[in-house]
Amino acid sequence: MPPRPHPIQGRGLEALLRDLGANLVRGGPEAFPTRCFPTGLAEIDRALGGGFPRGRVSEVVGPSCCGRTSLALALLARVTAQGELAVVVDRPDAFDVVSAASAGVDLERVLWVRPLGLGAALRSVEHVLQAGGFPLVLLDLAGEETAAPHIPSSAWPRLRKATAAAAAALVLLGRRRLAGTYADLALELDAAAARFESGPDWLAGLDGHVRLARSRAGLAQADVAVRWRTGGRHAA
Amino acid sequence: MPTSPSAVSASRIACLLVPALPLAAELRAHPELIGRPLAITAGPGARAEIVAVSPEAARAGVRTLTHVVHGRATCAALVVRVLSPARDRAARDALLDAALSTSPRAEHAPPGNGAYAAEAAVFVDARGVAALFHSEAGFAAALAERARRLGLEAVVAVASSRAVAQLAARQLAYAGSAGTADVRVIAPGSEADFLAPLPLELLNPEDAQAEALSRLGLRRIADLLRLPERALVTRLGPGIRALLSLARGQDLAPPPPVPPDTQLEEATDLEAPLERLEPLGFVLRGLLDRLAGRLDSRGLAFGDLALELRLEGGGRDARRVGLAAPTLELRVVLRLALLALEAAPPAAAVEAVSVATRGCSMRGNQLDFFRPAGPAPAVLARTLAELAALVGPSRVGAPAVADDHHPGAYRVEPFRAPRPCPPAEPAHMAGLFLAVRALRPPLPARVRLAGGRPAALESALANGRVERAAGPWRTSGRWWSAEERFAFDHYDVATDDGWVVRLRFDLLQQRWEIDGVYD
Repeated sequence: MPPRPHPIQGRGLEALLRDLGANLVRGGPEAFPTRCFPTGLAEIDRALGGGFPRGRVSEVVGPSCCGRTSLALALLARVTAQGELAVVVDRPDAFDVVSAASAGVDLERVLWVRPLGLGAALRSVEHVLQAGGFPLVLLDLAGEETAAPHIPSSAWPRLRKATAAAAAALVLLGRRRLAGTYADLALELDAAAARFESGPDWLAGLDGHVRLARSRAGLAQADVAVRWRTGGRHAA
Repeated sequence: MPTSPSAVSASRIACLLVPALPLAAELRAHPELIGRPLAITAGPGARAEIVAVSPEAARAGVRTLTHVVHGRATCAALVVRVLSPARDRAARDALLDAALSTSPRAEHAPPGNGAYAAEAAVFVDARGVAALFHSEAGFAAALAERARRLGLEAVVAVASSRAVAQLAARQLAYAGSAGTADVRVIAPGSEADFLAPLPLELLNPEDAQAEALSRLGLRRIADLLRLPERALVTRLGPGIRALLSLARGQDLAPPPPVPPDTQLEEATDLEAPLERLEPLGFVLRGLLDRLAGRLDSRGLAFGDLALELRLEGGGRDARRVGLAAPTLELRVVLRLALLALEAAPPAAAVEAVSVATRGCSMRGNQLDFFRPAGPAPAVLARTLAELAALVGPSRVGAPAVADDHHPGAYRVEPFRAPRPCPPAEPAHMAGLFLAVRALRPPLPARVRLAGGRPAALESALANGRVERAAGPWRTSGRWWSAEERFAFDHYDVATDDGWVVRLRFDLLQQRWEIDGVYD
């Protein structure tokens, strides 16, 4: 008995292709967005291919005192200076207002949300992404005294989809990477060394490293040395 | 109906009238009772007097001014509800909102008396409405429809004066015409013809006047107007002049004014006191739902809520529920109100509930070609309200530096999306500034000193030998208050386990704390 032709072959295939018309596209790697939010730190922006991508999930992780908050505030300062609005979803209630103002953040353009639980934090992020108009959302999960938070795996595809729909940059701060393959970009920061100046003694800053650990866009691995400065707050 | 320019400029008044307000208010609050025999009583108990009955109850033989026990004997399925002055007041105001949704000028009619004590009416300035609603009849139909959307079955009459409009509305409501039409337009110039055949009872004369007129054999308005005024005043007293003025349809008052404010209130008296929050939530939902309908009809949104509860035993619980931004999202407003109640439940069972709000305009959205667009104002308002309901109103807002020397001081302002500004470079320190992560509340620490300076540190975070320490820097303030004064010696400390923290010694409490981590 001769084999029956597959129904999708021949004229069936032609009819299917004709019906699909413009909906039919060739598969391939996902296009990486060209719109980014630079941090204002030239070497880091260069390593990131321009900055933190919009419409994507990014992670900034590292141990305490590594400079991840300083990097986040630099990004926040840059974005608000451009006249954009930003949201800080601050799970550990650690956002220091004076520090942010000193870093150049336009506080009027920041919506500060301090949820009491992880679930409320994730729902807050979804709310602001669905609202639109907030092109930068910082989700701070870097509680100093807590272990890595347990986030249901179903949360990440939802957040990623909402981020893409809002064309916003969702940046997670944490001790370690949480989003896995749902993050398009991950920066890992190493523990930084304190830098003191003498006469009289004052904390001048931290010396650390920022490493590009993951890039869906295929950016080359990079390791950037960064010197954070206190600005001599107590020097006088 | 084409309207001549002279008709447009002349006075035109619409009267929106509900004949039995207690009944209408009850059906507005409980639409599930529509179509059922319903009686409203002046008070609780079987001996209470019935003050209003639904058409279904009337058809079953239930009459006003009888007692509940008689009503139940006549109609076994009779539903009895106690009159709620608060609910009546809200329904009367809702009638005004329906009017204001069609015209900027409207006012309450004076309260009815005598046979018309239960009616509620609103006068609406109807000049020029034909341009918006095609005709005065179209306007009247739209007005009746707006009232219906707010849960009130009303009749509408348009005429050249308040008196004629109200008499025409009364005729529609009471003279049996209501079954066929709920609107009527009295064309300019035809008022006298319209009024002449109307019965004198529609003028609502006082009892003595009605008796005297009856003795004279006067039945209709035309009969009254045929008699000389001076002779009537001589026989019936000067009070007859007001009745004559009404019979002529005269109106010397200026057009209805624009209402001065947008304070809206919904209230209800509960038949039984409520002790738990869950049933109170259902009551609140109903009140807020009706308030949302009224706000929506006027193109407004909820502002801050003033929630007032009358408690058993005569107590009163008043509270304010702040909204981050004007919104019409019922779910969000209800959630905020319930959060406020859950945070501090009422001290006793609740007997009456009142919710008031000042209607706010939804923010307009002005886009700019060259500057970033923020969220749409209405969407932002809804989002802020949802966030406030999710995390608490005090935990959402725009951060602001406090005018205070306390190291932990900060402010949270209501978030209002600022106007777009041209892109600029951030402040000079941006990009390299070492940030601090605040610890709220500060973390207790044990510190070993050497030579008066920190040498080793024990805490839930940093533990180890102090490698470098800078300080102290003293901060003190609020010396005028024994409870609020503070004095700290601050140190920046790096420990050998990798932490760089902001350590402080509380000079008043004599204890060490970590209030920030450099990151």
